[in-house]
Amino acid sequence: MQGFALYPFDPPGDIAALRADLRSWLAANQPQDDVVFRANCWASFDPDFSRALGAAGYVGMTLPARYGGGDRHPLERYVVIEELLAAGAPVGAHWIADRQTGPLILRYGSEEQRQRYLPGIARGELYACIGLSEPGAGSDLAAVRTTARETAEGWRINGQKIWTTGAHFSHIMLTLVRTEEGSERNAGLSQLLIDLDTPGITIRPIIDMAGHHDFNEVFFDDVLVPLGALVGERGQGWKQVTAELGLERSGPERYLSSHALLVALIDAAGPHPDPALATLIGELTAEMWTLRQLSMSTAAKLAAGEDPMVEASVVKELGNAFEQDMPRRVQAIVTSGWDDENDLAKLLRALLIASPSFSLRGGTREVIRGIIARGLGLR
Amino acid sequence: MSAARNMLCDTARAVFAEAAMVGIAPVGEAGFGLLLVPEAEGGFGGDWGDVNAVLQIAGVVVPDLPVAELIAGETLQPAATVSLMAGAMGQALALSIDHVNTRQQFGRPLGKFQAVQQSLAVMACEVRAVEAAAAALAARLDAVGLDAAAADFEIAAAKLRANRAVGVVTAIAHQVHGAIGFTEEYDLHRVTVPLMRWRGAHGNDAFWAARLGRQVAALGGRGLWETMTARGA
Repeated sequence: MQGFALYPFDPPGDIAALRADLRSWLAANQPQDDVVFRANCWASFDPDFSRALGAAGYVGMTLPARYGGGDRHPLERYVVIEELLAAGAPVGAHWIADRQTGPLILRYGSEEQRQRYLPGIARGELYACIGLSEPGAGSDLAAVRTTARETAEGWRINGQKIWTTGAHFSHIMLTLVRTEEGSERNAGLSQLLIDLDTPGITIRPIIDMAGHHDFNEVFFDDVLVPLGALVGERGQGWKQVTAELGLERSGPERYLSSHALLVALIDAAGPHPDPALATLIGELTAEMWTLRQLSMSTAAKLAAGEDPMVEASVVKELGNAFEQDMPRRVQAIVTSGWDDENDLAKLLRALLIASPSFSLRGGTREVIRGIIARGLGLR
Repeated sequence: MSAARNMLCDTARAVFAEAAMVGIAPVGEAGFGLLLVPEAEGGFGGDWGDVNAVLQIAGVVVPDLPVAELIAGETLQPAATVSLMAGAMGQALALSIDHVNTRQQFGRPLGKFQAVQQSLAVMACEVRAVEAAAAALAARLDAVGLDAAAADFEIAAAKLRANRAVGVVTAIAHQVHGAIGFTEEYDLHRVTVPLMRWRGAHGNDAFWAARLGRQVAALGGRGLWETMTARGA
């Protein structure tokens, strides 16, 4: 792994104006949600907001205009995303479709798939989930066993996915399946784009320890989808999935999920905080500023067509650590009861409970560190 | 990196190698004291990006010589120290990787053990963070014409972040090296001891954290984001 050079974050166009326009749009259109809804807001589901955001041109920004997209540069989208997250806007409904599935369909999908799905994604109306994990394939994703067999009528799918975020409100699932009989590990896998209203699919909720319904079990019982559901190349699913994970790991959501707590802490501290509080705010700010530089640099590298797999993993690892550390350190210093109902107390409670998931979703801490170690030449 | 900066770095490596034997004189003679002086005034007309690159090399090769003082004035010493720290941390990481790939125990290189891999991944994250902080600080200083007061937020954030990385970086570097890293003969202490010294120089953690914290508190919660985005990208 080479020494880190900051990749210049240099989006085209008037970025100050883009920020200003979005901020005034948010001032007029962001729902006055409970403060907890503003934390971890890329899991906050609000389809009305997603539709409005799409109509305003802030969803599917990088997709070509002929598919309903905005023809914008990826770094313009980055600026919009960080503004939405910093504001705590409820972007959960369209989040995965906008971040991952849309770009992946554009890159690997057939013309038919692009025309069929991309316009709805760009409108903020068509939602997607990602079918990767299975009961026997968590961190060890290559152990995937769900099968799709090619028949005269189409692909016949049998198996089960688990921990599928948003399957219960999504229209489509990008699913990693084993298409080659007798294949093992990361060979013989393919990606299928499955309409979730297809007969034979059962979606069951898994309620998390915060009481939320984000993830699901999804069962495929002799599900028949057209041969045209294949995305990209048959047997190349592993390569396509790992490329996709790079998009997932380095975004500003890795350090802005808990931003609402930092805002509440600063506001509660007031303009003249005591020394201990000032120190904590200073340390959290320094970490956040640094993470922003790393994340922007990684985004710029991605936008330039490079594959910053290791840098993306560094952003995720440091971002997760920052976001897990923050509520613990805030709790250690502020006087606040667990059941208090002020903003700071509510955010603290919600994020302390939510934060164990931060270093699990999108690749566990151990897997991410393994990727970094490989980048260092140790594996 | 530009061709000009690459050449500058090559020169710095050669000059610092000589300086490591004979002291600071060759660094002055080679004109590094004029790096930031405009060309019109007989200097090299370099920017802080150049200084950052050169000081990172100084942090590896001549961490005991006052190269930063030679190049930059007093108000920029905290920023210069961040660059030295980034360089020294990069070297600590490089030495550590090299050692675990070479040293064998239990019949295989130490680097093949998962516990060692995970430790070095943690260390690499800290090093990358400090390198990014140094680079972003350089971009800010160049955008404001090396006015330290106009880069006060970035200087505070970068020096604080670098300080906070020192414990993890030096601890893991020494841990994976075992006893050899604790000897006078082996090179590791040439970067880890300066890192310990630099953490307390030109503002320790408490100094910069309190200063940055008060600055941010005055901005307010939303003001932090507005200020951060207005100052860069």
